Amino acid sequence: MADAELTERVRELIAGNEVLLFMKGTPTEPRCGFSLRTVQVLDRMGIEYGAIDVLPALQPLREVTTEISDWETFPQLYVKGELVGGCDIVEEMFASGELAELLGVEQPETPDVPSSAADLPAQSPPLDIERN
Amino acid sequence: MPADLEEIRRMIVEELPGSEVEVIDETGTGDHLRVDISAPQFDGLSRIERHRLVKAAVRPRFDDGTIHALSIKVLER
Repeated sequence: MADAELTERVRELIAGNEVLLFMKGTPTEPRCGFSLRTVQVLDRMGIEYGAIDVLPALQPLREVTTEISDWETFPQLYVKGELVGGCDIVEEMFASGELAELLGVEQPETPDVPSSAADLPAQSPPLDIERN
Repeated sequence: MPADLEEIRRMIVEELPGSEVEVIDETGTGDHLRVDISAPQFDGLSRIERHRLVKAAVRPRFDDGTIHALSIKVLER
């Protein structure tokens, strides 16, 4: 059961920020590859957005977003009070131009999205290039 | 313990009969998975709703910590 006070606070934040990202880490120091990729998309859109680092209260916030949006993984992007999705959906909507439309901005030129294979999550083990 | 990719695939197909599913270990560590999927149940649903269906199917493996991240790619049928 999600904490009522925290739930109310999160609802206020979602309502009070036109573009709001719940992420692991901060936009300047993302702590997860998926959060990093989502930040990269938002930065390319050239918009201002609010960002909340969920790591200090991961489990309570997970319970809150599950209750509010039926979505328990991070990152989570909210636009105009509605959950847009996580990294996959944000990247897809960026590539298709839907995200620019939703945000009311021009689609940036050359919308190349980093491929998941080339951009491993930060917590992945280092690649072993010695092994043959 | 790394996820059993075939078990994950089966969990999704059981929840979404008629779906075509491929489960890929993206990092070689067995806990960051990607699911490529097409499913008749997706017709008319938003992206969010499609992802919710897939995640709900494998939730037990999230809850027990087997899977840390699940990337979902919806393929056109």
